[in-house]
Amino acid sequence: MQTETQLVEAAQAGSADAFAELVRGYRDRLLRFLLTRCASDADAEDVLQDTLINAFRYIRSYDPRWRFSTWLYRIAIRNAANSRPQELLELGDLRDEENDPLLQCIADSETENLWASARHLLNDEVFAAMWLRYAEDMSVNDIATALDRSVSWTKVNLMRGRRALDAELNATEDRSKAYG
Amino acid sequence: MDKLANRLRRDADRIEVTVSEELERRLDASLQAATPQDEIVRRPKSGRPALFWWASSLTGIAAAAAVIVIVNIRQPQEELPPATPANIVAAVPVIDWKTESAMLTGPLQQELEDLQSDIRKAERQVREDIGL
Repeated sequence: MQTETQLVEAAQAGSADAFAELVRGYRDRLLRFLLTRCASDADAEDVLQDTLINAFRYIRSYDPRWRFSTWLYRIAIRNAANSRPQELLELGDLRDEENDPLLQCIADSETENLWASARHLLNDEVFAAMWLRYAEDMSVNDIATALDRSVSWTKVNLMRGRRALDAELNATEDRSKAYG
Repeated sequence: MDKLANRLRRDADRIEVTVSEELERRLDASLQAATPQDEIVRRPKSGRPALFWWASSLTGIAAAAAVIVIVNIRQPQEELPPATPANIVAAVPVIDWKTESAMLTGPLQQELEDLQSDIRKAERQVREDIGL
């Protein structure tokens, strides 16, 4: 069983098998994250493929001072942004909630999920920061690096996201108490 | 661990997303076809020796000085033909002034006599005032 560092070194030497082994543990999580950044399942799968190819192609420029997962998510975020139509990027945070792949995924599970509320309450960037913090367990510094934002921006927006979701969580609990 | 963080982690875990076998085959095939690129060698910010900047500065200063000298160098002046004095008197038209000379001697003499008379009167008055 090779460590992540050994797999990185083997991939840097040109081994596609080592790279495939290296990213095997990230594939599902990356795809789940990309559902929050892409317009459809198919787009998320395409972006995942591009992300892994780009990561392998540029593996020699990977700086081991970064966590590998942070570097991978950063590439994924950039590829997801490039996959969106330019006109939608110019219009800003405009989501097609009916076809939102994450919301469809949550609806399929038929359980109440706070991430669905987060999707409605938070904009894309704050949602991504919250997702990386609580779903991917990233540190604030790693989130700032992955999103290409400052640490202070990340802290402030995590706090805003938390405040909005805290209020939503309390309201949900109050409603469920009221209805027994 | 706070309530919100716990809830968010639990709800994220509930979102089950897995890479399908078909996608997995696609990913493996595309990775096998790719090759890592050589590391991009970043050029250092200051690749030129310090002497280069001194040499270029001195060259610039020398060039500027040369331009100033060339522009301001005294040009050989062409010798002008000797100027002939213009005959101004001939050029000015003669005006026939019809005037008479003023008789100034009479009134000035009268003025002088009046002043001397005033001085004498004043002197006399002063003498009377002081009792001489």
